[in-house]
Amino acid sequence: MTSESLVAAATILAFGLIVLGVALGSAVGDGIVASKAVEAIARQPEARPNIFTFLFLGVGVLEAFPIISLGLAFYLLLVVANVPQLLTHLSAGH
Amino acid sequence: MKEEIGSHTYWLLPVLGWVHGDTILTTWLAMAVALAFLAYVGASYRTPRAGRTQTVFEGVVDYISDLVAGSLGKRGEPFVPFFIALFILIFLLNQFGVIPFKALGLPFGGSPTADLNTTVAFALLVFFLIQITAIRQRGIKAYAHIFEPWFLAPINLLEELVRPVTLAARLFFNIFVGELLFIIIASIITAKVMIGSFNLSLAVSVLPFFIQFFNFFVGTIQAFVFTLLGIVYLSLATAEDH
Repeated sequence: MTSESLVAAATILAFGLIVLGVALGSAVGDGIVASKAVEAIARQPEARPNIFTFLFLGVGVLEAFPIISLGLAFYLLLVVANVPQLLTHLSAGH
Repeated sequence: MKEEIGSHTYWLLPVLGWVHGDTILTTWLAMAVALAFLAYVGASYRTPRAGRTQTVFEGVVDYISDLVAGSLGKRGEPFVPFFIALFILIFLLNQFGVIPFKALGLPFGGSPTADLNTTVAFALLVFFLIQITAIRQRGIKAYAHIFEPWFLAPINLLEELVRPVTLAARLFFNIFVGELLFIIIASIITAKVMIGSFNLSLAVSVLPFFIQFFNFFVGTIQAFVFTLLGIVYLSLATAEDH
């Protein structure tokens, strides 16, 4: 195992871990926001427009974190370690 | 010509130094589109009949002015045009990346909000608007809440200063990553990846359609969130007592 293949493997593993955490966290967070909004609308149907405003505000603020993490993950994968170039370099070596 | 993200054409301006020329051109184009559209909507008021465009647009204006009035009360009335303009401009700038002008070889294209300079400018605009309004309405007492429990003053100050940073970073990263995902899918399609007998490029080529829908949704939500957070911060800074 060369050091290049070790770097490629570690970066891909890190990318997978980042996507795992980000997807899990944002899905749970969005689920909580949506379920609370449905509960609130069921309790007070006349407050529906107001609740929708804050539902979208909450979702918009929440969705920023997974998007930022995904951007950093792609930065790690494509710029810091440059995995596509590493992989073509590795496959050319054999 | 190759479609790229994060690369800009540079202009050397007399006072400002090097600037991103494509971002400036695209922003000016978006402003021209917005002005032409608003002139078109405004012209429909000369006839007594309400057109369909006019009705839809009045809904948007009504919604934002209700938001401002709901959280600021009567003091918020002078700020209604500002926030409506902010929403429309950010919405247009977010959606501008859908049309691949740069791939056609034109000097403009891409979302200007996928450039950190644009979003930081918007965030600083909102930040200074809030500070100036707070000082004009309440004088130096507007900053009294920072020293409320005196030992928390550094944290309160940091909370105040981190708001424009998060506003700018949230908008920038949302639009930037939307375009980045699009470019990555496009590069997979053009690379003709085969995994055994499975044609990954062909399977992935249905995705850009859905990614554009997602980008449209995210662009609208983020323009709305930027405007709404500006309103909320303004109402926090100018609240009478709390």
